[in-house]
Amino acid sequence: MPVLVSKSLRDYRRSLVGWTVGITAFFALYLSFYPSITKDPELYGRAALAKFPGAMRDLMGGLEDFTSGVGYLHSLVYQLFGPMLFVVCAAILGNRALAQPEESGTLELTVTLPVDRRRLVFERFAALALGLLGLAVVTFLAVWALSSAVDMNVAFDRILAGHTGILLLSLLFGTLALAVGAATGRRGIAMAVVGVVAVGGYVVESMGRNVDAISWLRWISPFHYYLDGRPLYQGFPTGDYLVLAGATVVLLLTAILAFDRRDVGV
Amino acid sequence: MTAVVRTEGLTKFYGDRRGLEDLDLEIRPGEVFGYLGPNGAGKTTTIRLILDVIRPTRGRVTVLGTDPRDARVRARIGYLPGELALEGRERARDYLAFLGGVRGGVSRERIDALAERLEADLSAPMGRLSKGNKQKVGLIQAFMHEPEFLILDEPTSGLDPLVQQEFLAMVREVRASGRTVLMSSHVLAEVENVSDRVGIVRAGRLVAVEDIAALREKAVRLVEFHFDAPVPREAFEGLAGVRDLRVEGASVRCTIDGRPDALVKAAARFTVVHMVSAEPDLEEIFLTYYSEEGGHHARAGV
Repeated sequence: MPVLVSKSLRDYRRSLVGWTVGITAFFALYLSFYPSITKDPELYGRAALAKFPGAMRDLMGGLEDFTSGVGYLHSLVYQLFGPMLFVVCAAILGNRALAQPEESGTLELTVTLPVDRRRLVFERFAALALGLLGLAVVTFLAVWALSSAVDMNVAFDRILAGHTGILLLSLLFGTLALAVGAATGRRGIAMAVVGVVAVGGYVVESMGRNVDAISWLRWISPFHYYLDGRPLYQGFPTGDYLVLAGATVVLLLTAILAFDRRDVGV
Repeated sequence: MTAVVRTEGLTKFYGDRRGLEDLDLEIRPGEVFGYLGPNGAGKTTTIRLILDVIRPTRGRVTVLGTDPRDARVRARIGYLPGELALEGRERARDYLAFLGGVRGGVSRERIDALAERLEADLSAPMGRLSKGNKQKVGLIQAFMHEPEFLILDEPTSGLDPLVQQEFLAMVREVRASGRTVLMSSHVLAEVENVSDRVGIVRAGRLVAVEDIAALREKAVRLVEFHFDAPVPREAFEGLAGVRDLRVEGASVRCTIDGRPDALVKAAARFTVVHMVSAEPDLEEIFLTYYSEEGGHHARAGV
């Protein structure tokens, strides 16, 4: 493994372990409620629908079939909480690639190493991707094991499709943070951009289904290319996922070009 | 032999603010070059341009015969940043091993030997190191791969006097082995004992490049003599190099320009109970430059 990648992964290790434990615990907690839901699906299904006003239900992904295994898993893990937790983790790691070390001053010595700037950005991206992959693999296995344990009857490949989507989506946002950091060197700006795109993108995608005025905006929301294909119900939306991957590549190239041409640490 | 560093018209503006303008500088192989100037004069800007951390607004710079944008040349350079940032839970030893690995491999023995020499603590998490210990780690990483060219930005800041001496010995060893050093400082005293030449930079402009011996002769020094009885003013008037003379009872104060010989001989005729000779301070050397040959620079430096 290239030395900058392994070094970055070592730096991210504590943070990654923390996120992995936290996200796994979060998923485990919600999945452990599932057996009590199945005991009285009528009650809980109605309660979920009655509890939230229409727009709120849209934000939660509809909640139509909350009491089936796949519906429950989608609503609680794959609709909002899973992607958002991953996105926040990815944005933090993406910021640690360049913007944070630049602000703290440690990047200065790194850019004077005999490593090409473009390679530095690429290897930091590779570390981000591998870190998120590790997080995704562990949490995927946890969701799969727990969903089997509580008899959710969701196929392995559907969970894999959902998790792959979360991974691609979070990698896109992590790369966005990395790219803004590469261009500006400011992690506050990078966090703000990720926050606006993530929250705005999610609202546009979830509300835009029923609000014509903003529905066209769904096409530029990253969440559209994850949620619209309903991976947990319909399997891999290959075309949509390729869009996410392609956008990530574009952001990575932008980051490389931006960082290669600018002053560091001024 | 080709110059280790050559700059031609090297200029850096940060927006409207001038960092450095029209720097023409040559650092020769095997010399220790002291780069002097007050904070904010352009020392760090020059160093960052040489290392390709920042890019020139115009002008050219070559390092070890190549463009600094070629990353490979940086394996032959050791660099101590002026504001060294070391943080986190990582141990200094692991960080040094990482840096050594990227630069082509440094043995553990070599790192340990340097750490012992500077009495550096490599086992504590870097975030908890004192300023002095961080500086030692910075020096170790700059020296450890035995680079052809060492760039040290304010290397002695935070070091106690004994470690400073050890550091200066290390610099002398580097020169003895034919390698080149560029070290910056805002205190002449820090570099004068090891430097062959010094460059003085002020407000983004190189004011002078001098042999250290020649600069010392130009230095203005504040001298005070205290005698056991009042002395006549006439005894000290008109001495070569003596300026701003003030005689008050049994004490004499003046500044001297160049050699103190005439003043010492004049004072020797009386009984000296105490004398003070302040180290020439850089500010006063600047003033000397500005009052004598500085007219041109002063106009250009506005």
